[in-house]
Amino acid sequence: MTAINDVLRSRARLVIAGVVTLLFVAPIYLTIVNAFKAQSQILESPEALPIPPTIDNLSTALARPDGLIQLGLQNSLIDVVFSVALLIPLASAFSFYISRRKTKARAAVLALLAAGLMIPPQVILLPTIQILTFFGLDHSYPGLILSNLGGGYLSFAVFVYVGFMRAVPNEIIEAARLDGASGLRIWWGIVMPLVRPATATVAIFSSLWIWNDFLNPLFILGPLQGQTITTGLYLTIGQYSVDYGQLFGIMFLAAIVPVVGYLFVQKQFIAGLTSGSSK
Amino acid sequence: MIRKTMLATCVVGALALTTACTSAGSGGTGSGTSTLTYMTFETPSLNSTFWNDSIAAASKEAPGVKINRITSPSTDRDGYAKQLQASGQFPDLLQSITPSTFAGAGLLVPYDQTWVDANFLLPQGNALKGKVYIPPTNSQIIPEVFYNKELFAKAGVEPPKTWADFLTVCAKLKAAGITPMELGGGDPFAASMPLVGVLSADVLGKNPQWLQERYAGKVKFTDANVVTAVEKYRKLVTEGYFDKGALGVKYADSITQFTGGKAAMYMMGSWFLGSVPKDNADNFGAFPVPTDDGSVVIPFAVGGSMAISSKTKDLAGATKFAQAWSLAPGNLKALIESDGAFPMLKGKTLDDYKVTVSQVFKDSFAYVTDENTKVASIGWASNDDAMPPGLNDQLYAASQALFTSADVKGEMAKLDTAWDTATK
Amino acid sequence: MRTRKSRASRDNGLFGLAAVAFGLYLCFLVLPLLLSLKSSFTDENPLRATSGFVGLDNYGEMIHDDQLHASLGFTLILAVGVTIAANAIGIAFAMMLNRTNLSYRVMRTIAFLPQVLSGVIVGFVWQTILTQQGLLNVTLQRIGLIDSPIAWLGSPNLALLSIGVVVTWILTGFTTVVYLAALQGVPVELYDSAAIDGATTWQRFTRITFPLIAPGMTISVTISLITVLKLYDVITVLTGGGPANSTRSTALYIVKLAFTDNRFGYASAVAMLVLAMSAAIALSVTSLLRRREVNF
Repeated sequence: MTAINDVLRSRARLVIAGVVTLLFVAPIYLTIVNAFKAQSQILESPEALPIPPTIDNLSTALARPDGLIQLGLQNSLIDVVFSVALLIPLASAFSFYISRRKTKARAAVLALLAAGLMIPPQVILLPTIQILTFFGLDHSYPGLILSNLGGGYLSFAVFVYVGFMRAVPNEIIEAARLDGASGLRIWWGIVMPLVRPATATVAIFSSLWIWNDFLNPLFILGPLQGQTITTGLYLTIGQYSVDYGQLFGIMFLAAIVPVVGYLFVQKQFIAGLTSGSSK
Repeated sequence: MIRKTMLATCVVGALALTTACTSAGSGGTGSGTSTLTYMTFETPSLNSTFWNDSIAAASKEAPGVKINRITSPSTDRDGYAKQLQASGQFPDLLQSITPSTFAGAGLLVPYDQTWVDANFLLPQGNALKGKVYIPPTNSQIIPEVFYNKELFAKAGVEPPKTWADFLTVCAKLKAAGITPMELGGGDPFAASMPLVGVLSADVLGKNPQWLQERYAGKVKFTDANVVTAVEKYRKLVTEGYFDKGALGVKYADSITQFTGGKAAMYMMGSWFLGSVPKDNADNFGAFPVPTDDGSVVIPFAVGGSMAISSKTKDLAGATKFAQAWSLAPGNLKALIESDGAFPMLKGKTLDDYKVTVSQVFKDSFAYVTDENTKVASIGWASNDDAMPPGLNDQLYAASQALFTSADVKGEMAKLDTAWDTATK
Repeated sequence: MRTRKSRASRDNGLFGLAAVAFGLYLCFLVLPLLLSLKSSFTDENPLRATSGFVGLDNYGEMIHDDQLHASLGFTLILAVGVTIAANAIGIAFAMMLNRTNLSYRVMRTIAFLPQVLSGVIVGFVWQTILTQQGLLNVTLQRIGLIDSPIAWLGSPNLALLSIGVVVTWILTGFTTVVYLAALQGVPVELYDSAAIDGATTWQRFTRITFPLIAPGMTISVTISLITVLKLYDVITVLTGGGPANSTRSTALYIVKLAFTDNRFGYASAVAMLVLAMSAAIALSVTSLLRRREVNF
């Protein structure tokens, strides 16, 4: 009797949880199904499945003369790949260096870096552009990438790495030193393999944030250097899109990369979040 | 060791590539051509096809100039131009901006006056302190009242002349179950159209010097006559002549709503003429914003082309392109047909452009060519009657605020404060 | 002595790399911050030829700036409302999904999706749902719940509510994962013994669950608050700050002051205020909630 009750109860729980979750992601569901429907079908019943499905919205979006999707994805990729590829060695080397320093110096540097986590980006946007202009790097990819490297992402990466590197036993490092290994060698050859989960966390989150960043590409990169997928959506879709099918089609294509990426690395994604939050 | 080499290659490669990107980006000029940036905006009628075609047409006249078009994310060109300026990328050519905002800082160069005098009907139509920064290629009435003849007939009403008649028409339409006025209140500029209409007709209609006197500090927005005019707009709101949710309606949606017969009247700039459905054009008419005594007052603005940046690296090329664009017959044809522009080129009639236009276009154009009281369209004129930078936004915000707030005097006081801050 | 020297020189490469990182941080975070602080005492404006120091004028102007006060009010209401909602829903979701079967794991994966999308995409998708002719109004009218469309984005109060819902939606994925992680640390035996003692569901929640997820709450509440304070893209796309600037957050106001009004000096002063507020909120919330953790 209790066994049957338990089964029923767990079934009911599953159904309720499923319904609530589905309601919660209804906007995403709407984006997916309506990307494959014509405008009239959408207005008639936005929630219906696309039967028969049409790929007109997607092909129109991909055939745009301004190359919104293709160019946007390409530019976003440049931005993310270079930023993250440079961020990881810089942040981890820095973290390793200061995690071996005296407590006082370390605390002072980390306190300075904590500011990077709190500063709202609009606060430093304007002077950042002025500094980049001074170096002749305004409105260029190097400028955008440099500002990514020096901004809040570095703080985030350093905090993740320092947490992990403190756990690396000192003996291992001392042993390597006695063998005559250089600092660089120890960092890259011994420490980095030990803190792979930290690298995964940093790579995943900084990629996601840089990919989704809006303010920096909008102002630092500007319209002349081409747009990232995020700013491109904002600048080109504008206020005159009344065709929902088109809009959902574009959103669908723009969202595919981060969503598929997330589904691939979701284990590390959630692990990264939970390890970060328990500190 | 392999790892180390890989890392080194990675970092060096990345740095090399980023540098390569810079040098590729900053280069460009060579072999006698120059690349100029041209800021445009897009509307349902001036879409990217129009801009690309018109740029291609003008480029033929200006060989050696390559145009790089950038599009303002909203119709607020001034705002975007300022954004670009503040972030160090002021375009070489700027379509339909308010020159007074930028000329003060020396960012624009005026056109050659003899060229302007030779080509345009109203050469000084949008001059700023006697200098022309944007060629007066065409003119617009901002706003006029468009109406749906079928819905008017259904409610048994005629186009009104006086404000009192106008209110009666609204009341009868409402009684007949028809929404009297469409409003695209979700877009600030569209939300402000009725307010621009009553202010231009009532305040400037009685005192065309009002804006100059406001600059001189002789009049204020909080003056009784201005407040009375604004109360008229407020009355349209409180009587329920606009849809209750009008502030959630985007400009583009308001056009489809009105042309689809969801409301009987629509106060909008004459560019709406380009959106009148071709197959049903005879169903739409237009009349000027009604005044208390029924006199005709036309809120008017001249312009329609681009300003040239004083910082441009190829002033000759930029000027050549801008002049060609301003005079190209094909551009004017497209502007007339798709954007309801009233052409202002010297020595040409409508027929010369080989355009097909609706009756409502011809009727509206007649208000331009007829002798009547023309006043600056407040917030839209780009000549000496342009408002100080930022005031347009404040006016738009006031229009939206008065949709829900009854504090007319308070909103007008905000406009006065903003004006004083901007001209300090 | 000799070995120590050579040891130090062996660290040169590492030091170089670390120095580059720190140099970039100084150059693109600390220096801009100092420059911003400096301009907050000037009337810098690129549309005017001259500018100079104006002392504390900009800070004085903030006291009388109604638009600033309105934007601060909006931002604070949004921050508090969203933080409460996103954390309450996050706890509920976490308790609901705290099972290990495959179906629950799939649901968890799905629930986190909003967090992955950019604010621009989220803004556009919700806009098609919430505008006057949007999918929500279309659906509500079709099933006969309302006669005329509701102005979800077109009236100040509803627009505030709508933005609150959208931001809560984005943040809930994050809070859910944080609370799930905290819940997984709660031993099941505790609940069993509480059940034997005859504790009600509410008692079990307040006595066992809540104290144990309190550490998660510290991080979750802080991040929620800071996210709302930084929020720019979602609001820009959804309402652009309208109607009548009623949904203009302080972040939007700063960008408008700096890039549309070209009042660099005053914009910097407002930016300093926001920075001080963010720091104060982050520090006080952290210490407040940390104290709570200890008490339990």
